Amino acid sequence: MSKLTRFEVASTTLGGQVSQFLRNYYIYFVLIAIVVFLSLTNLDRYELFERGNFLYERNIINILRVSAPILVLAGAFTLLMVSGYIDLSVGSTMGLSAVIYAMLAINGVPFLAAFAITTLCGVLLGTFNGLLVVRFKITPVIATLITLSLFKGIALLLVMDGVSAIKSMGDLKMPSWFNAYGREGVLLGLPMAFWVAVIVTITLVVLQNRSLLGKYAAATGGNPTAAKLSGINTSKVVFVLYAIVGACAALAGIARSSFMSLGDPLSGDGMELTAILVVLIGGTAFSGGEGRVLRSFVGALIIMTITLGMLTLVPAYYQTLVLGAVLLGAAASNHWISRKDHAS
Amino acid sequence: MNVPIKTNTALSENRRLSDQMYITLLVASVAIGLFLIASVFVPNFFQLQNMLNLVTNNWAVISLGVGVTFLLVSGNFDLSVGGIVALSGVLSVWFAQSIGSSNALSSGLGLPYWVALLGALAGAIAIGGLNALFVVKFRIPSIIVTLGTMMVARGIAQVITQGSQRNTNLPDEFGVLGSLKVFGTSMQLPVVFMGLLLLAAIFIERKMVFGRITYWVGANPVAARLSGIDNAKHITYLYLFSAAIAGVVGILLSSEYQSGYSNRGLLMEFDALVIALLGGIAIAGGFGSVIGMFFGAIILAVVTSAATGLTLSPDWQYILKALAVFLAIVAQTWALARRNK
Repeated sequence: MSKLTRFEVASTTLGGQVSQFLRNYYIYFVLIAIVVFLSLTNLDRYELFERGNFLYERNIINILRVSAPILVLAGAFTLLMVSGYIDLSVGSTMGLSAVIYAMLAINGVPFLAAFAITTLCGVLLGTFNGLLVVRFKITPVIATLITLSLFKGIALLLVMDGVSAIKSMGDLKMPSWFNAYGREGVLLGLPMAFWVAVIVTITLVVLQNRSLLGKYAAATGGNPTAAKLSGINTSKVVFVLYAIVGACAALAGIARSSFMSLGDPLSGDGMELTAILVVLIGGTAFSGGEGRVLRSFVGALIIMTITLGMLTLVPAYYQTLVLGAVLLGAAASNHWISRKDHAS
Repeated sequence: MNVPIKTNTALSENRRLSDQMYITLLVASVAIGLFLIASVFVPNFFQLQNMLNLVTNNWAVISLGVGVTFLLVSGNFDLSVGGIVALSGVLSVWFAQSIGSSNALSSGLGLPYWVALLGALAGAIAIGGLNALFVVKFRIPSIIVTLGTMMVARGIAQVITQGSQRNTNLPDEFGVLGSLKVFGTSMQLPVVFMGLLLLAAIFIERKMVFGRITYWVGANPVAARLSGIDNAKHITYLYLFSAAIAGVVGILLSSEYQSGYSNRGLLMEFDALVIALLGGIAIAGGFGSVIGMFFGAIILAVVTSAATGLTLSPDWQYILKALAVFLAIVAQTWALARRNK
């Protein structure tokens, strides 16, 4: 069965084929362009791969390490948006997971058990979102705004009075392995957290392209009524997707918590904005029906490269402005691309 | 198609109360009921001063809520108001600061005070124009657009204040507006601004064509357009008004604190949205009222201040807020479904 999304419009003319190629792969060119630009800016002072230049090995590794949370979340968030739903609570889920993970670790639970329990908690939190949306029929934006507040409150209450985050204090010591997941290089100098993000993304790409869930998600987002009438259990699809997003938000929380060596209840604040930004850059339609997991992964790389790479050029307080402008720009360009399709 | 055409039940069944008034009354009685319950459990809660404080402490969010409510009724989000509050406050300070200090953060443009205020307001309205441009012209979902403009507005404020605040070298009259006592009473100008704004909004909503058009645009955009209403123009006006209100709030706040702080109004857009939702405004548009939003704000204020009065940890307020919104939404849906059975 041939699938034609708005990025994969069949075209016969040469010009059409070129523009089709650009449309399918433009996001990779954007990433390459940004990397090239950032590599050239400091070239008058440093060698290409020397410390101080963007392409310095440690710099690349660091950017990928810091990006692990959003990289692991982007794919799941995309699938949810493709089905026409949204989760604004991912930041709070992340913060709550970070707290749970750190609490387990500090109380002597071994790594794998803490990892599994926290991910399971993420699934539960995601399922709770699904419950509000599917069973109580609350609009996704409101439902997840409610859980944004709820999960954040729980996370803040879990942390003892008088401290801002779970960390080594007095007799309670963070175990020595706590840092390793987010920081210690295991392959190509990159930590577990990054490779987990890669594995999750590959799984989700396969899920989107090869499984019924991926097709059902697109059908639900493209035309909910038609999907229901063709016998798709849309409620179940949405439930499963919220659970997956919850699990991935928990993985993001573990990565962030491990990287920072503490369980900070506010460590996920603003993640929902970053996630929306990333999937929009990746060309996902906000109204549902269209979007690709892999493009969002690249979108996450772009956003993190801009955010961190920018620090060498301008002061940190330019960040919000630049990201806001990028968000508006991405939304506008998505609009123009899709309008062109409708015209043709 | 044998889908029944949904008609306005208030018209078709000749009820004394419209659904909208019904929900508004429900919200108001919940607010009053919660206040009475809180009075039983929280010491010193049932006092005139406390009742006044519940309103006056929230003048900023209630004022923002007016613009947000009108936009929600028309079927659009406005999440940019918090960012605009920061932007207009910082702009008013930056424009008014005198020139020629060695410190970058103490040196402004040295404009006359009233020019500074007008400039700040213009900056706020420009963000509203940006909202309208993207929502109306490019037809991008308003939630995305206003998230973007929120970041842009706050981002500009952060660049101007270098991520911190500006509070030196200000003219003497700068702090007057925000702390002016009106008519010799303890009523401050910002609170009066909120009161007048509420009255004007209720009048526009109930009695003026502009207000009624807002409902039509939100309830059924296509029908509104076919009836000769210029939806685009109407939504543009609404975004400009909302931004202007946020601009005034920002100016008043910066005057009250005598500083332009780039993180002022952080998360205010969400609070404004939450009180509107508590007040029974439907996110799909076409339903809700400013009075409802006002009582929604009272509900939130009672819940949070009761929590403080019970010396609960401030962390509880997030959970209480979540619970309040959840119950409000479920109760409203249930009440409407029951009524229209």
